[in-house]
Amino acid sequence: MNHTVTRIERRRWPALLLLLGVLTACFGLLAAPGNAAKEDLTGEISGVMRDAQGQPIAGVSFQVTNASGFTGSDISNRQGEWVVPIPGPGQYVVSLDPATLPAGVTLTNPERTSLTVSLLSNSKTVAFPTGAADTTRESFLDRFLQLAVDGLVFGLVIALAGVGLSMIFGTTGLTNFAHGEIVTLGALATFVFNNFIGLPFPLAVALAVVVCGLFGALNDWGLWKPLRKKGVSLIAMLVVSIGLGILLRYIYLFFFGGDTEQYASYSGQPGLALGPVDITPKVIIGSVVAILALVLTMMWLGLTRNGKASRAVSDNPALASASGINVERVINQVWIIGAALAGLSGALYSMSVGVNWLEGFQLLLLVFAGVVLGGLGTALGAIVGSLVVGVLLQISTLFLPTEMKTVGALLIMIIILLIRPQGLLGRRERVG
Amino acid sequence: MNAIDPFEPTEQADPLQPGSEEFMEELHVDAEQRTRSQELTTREHHLATSGNALLRADELVAGYIPGVNILNGCDFYVDDGEMVGIIGPNGAGKSTLLKALFGLVRVGSGTVILKNEDITNLRADRLVRQGLGFVPQTNNVFPSLTIEENLQMGAYLAPKQFKDRFDYVTGIFPRLGERRKQRASALSGGERQMLAMGRALMMEPSVLLLDEPSAGLSPALQDEVFVRVRDINKAGVTVIMVEQNARRCLQIVDRGYVLDQGRNAYTGTGRDLAHDPKVISLYLGTLGAERDEGTKG
Ligand SMILES: Nc1ncnc2c1ncn2[C@@H]1O[C@H](COP(=O)(O)OP(=O)(O)OP(=O)(O)O)[C@@H](O)[C@H]1O
Ligand SMILES: [Mg+2]
Repeated sequence: MNHTVTRIERRRWPALLLLLGVLTACFGLLAAPGNAAKEDLTGEISGVMRDAQGQPIAGVSFQVTNASGFTGSDISNRQGEWVVPIPGPGQYVVSLDPATLPAGVTLTNPERTSLTVSLLSNSKTVAFPTGAADTTRESFLDRFLQLAVDGLVFGLVIALAGVGLSMIFGTTGLTNFAHGEIVTLGALATFVFNNFIGLPFPLAVALAVVVCGLFGALNDWGLWKPLRKKGVSLIAMLVVSIGLGILLRYIYLFFFGGDTEQYASYSGQPGLALGPVDITPKVIIGSVVAILALVLTMMWLGLTRNGKASRAVSDNPALASASGINVERVINQVWIIGAALAGLSGALYSMSVGVNWLEGFQLLLLVFAGVVLGGLGTALGAIVGSLVVGVLLQISTLFLPTEMKTVGALLIMIIILLIRPQGLLGRRERVG
Repeated sequence: MNAIDPFEPTEQADPLQPGSEEFMEELHVDAEQRTRSQELTTREHHLATSGNALLRADELVAGYIPGVNILNGCDFYVDDGEMVGIIGPNGAGKSTLLKALFGLVRVGSGTVILKNEDITNLRADRLVRQGLGFVPQTNNVFPSLTIEENLQMGAYLAPKQFKDRFDYVTGIFPRLGERRKQRASALSGGERQMLAMGRALMMEPSVLLLDEPSAGLSPALQDEVFVRVRDINKAGVTVIMVEQNARRCLQIVDRGYVLDQGRNAYTGTGRDLAHDPKVISLYLGTLGAERDEGTKG
């Protein structure tokens, strides 16, 4: 009897991860740009030329060179696509001949006709944006809407990382400063699966999520569980997590290098104009996947036996144990879910900002801000807080220089916390 | 003797005034001597009567911090279907004993045996599987879970039984059924105590450990709790109960233990203990005993 219960629980785990995987398979609906490799040059540099209205521009000439004398060129076709086969990874100079641009079309930055790019993988997409950088022409409201949507999208990325951070904090008391590195791992694993192994993007993301889930389980099993068993203090564990974060970052730097890379799939995807809001299909689908993952997590916490048990452990581990809950197993499950969500966060985040060894670390401050703002230890609070932080961050660029946007968002967070110290959805401690 | 200077009372103060150093010292010495002599007679007797105990602990040494033992060689047993009370002064280690029996405090030496099986230092959730239930003294509900969810956690290992047991528990405590969708943090102290007991009853335990179930309840509710516990015991559940309300506790239990400084100082039937002059003077309070005598006589 007890044994069957255990087995069913164990089986539910991979099932949940698989479900996340299936969701990410929605990406499959996006057709991959079909660029067949030419001759025996193994790599390629490509791009899609479009005007300010998003229409393809044909007949623009591109040249790719490198230091060892390689030269290749192409002219954009009717879809605006151009592909230059290259010998493989390395550093290249990509230049566009401005004379071949049609009349009336200029580059956004007319000086930027040639770019130096370095490839670790075999392919890379290079974009030459056209049209004036005409943000001033947009109305304030349009700009506001665009930023609000961008903020929500970014907020979802923060929320995916924040929910896990919050759940781990709730059940174990650990403030995990290495959580950002799980985010980065999600991006790196997606990059490896997509660019090196050549898996379709949805599958790459699904596998990256699984990898991160396993990494989370291993993290807990190999490091945090033994430390808990020894009764190591929470402050000491926090310091250990800072150290672990540094270690992981330098491992990433060693193997991946310091450059920012783009996924092979969808990196140059043009945006859709939905009213005043510009948004790419990949971001729409990514956000839908993020929302589904968050909803599933909330359903797990609110409706399933082990989800409820995880909240019971957050409230009182000794009492949870005295109720028959295997506390360590529940904590391990929380780690798997939290790390898988963080991995998804990184995989989706890098669709817009590229893959970088520091991306998760740079995101971490905002993740903490979202979790604290929402009320420490409540999953729904972490989601709401993260969305608020994302939106505040983007909206603040209306009033502040872009470089200052993080400062602005954190200032607003401090003000909200002064008014509501328990966070947006946190509850005040019951008195007595 | 000189007239007493009210500003220099040291010499003239009553040496046995409660709270004075002399009084404490005397009490302490007295207690130690009595404990030692009592131990010699009771430990043998205790061991002799504990032959077919359902749950027993022998020479338990346990504590929270390594090197600081709260229990110093505590013996304890309970027979199947018995109801046993544990009383003693604050900080005697009563709660610690229950936690040590339940695998929530690390046992340094000594053994805990349930149905002839060694369960020393077994994880609490394993013990729940073996039919033990525990209601802690404090923090005994999950505040951010609803009442229903609290009870679901009580039935965590047997989710299929939830409906039956929920009906049973809400039959005993109807208030829990009425407020099932509310968070436990919204309950009053007494309602919380009911929920805590209800949660422990969800698994149909065969042995129930209760740590001060009547604490913080109104006198009427205290009686109610004692009656409920008695009923639960009559239904076949072995009960181990720690109580501050020592007199009431000793009235209803089959057997009692008086714990002091981490060891059992006295054991005996509830009636014997309640009328033992040493137990009365040390733990039940002399005044209270006199008053009782007075009302009776
Ligand atoms: N969690 C803990 N960590 C460290 N020491 C503790 C802890 N709980 C109790 N103690 C210590 O153990 C000793 C015995 O405590 P215990 O709770 O067992 O007493 P008790 O007999 O239940 O008292 P009360 O009647 O007040 O409930 C006390 O001196 C207390 O300081
Ligand atoms: Mg106690």
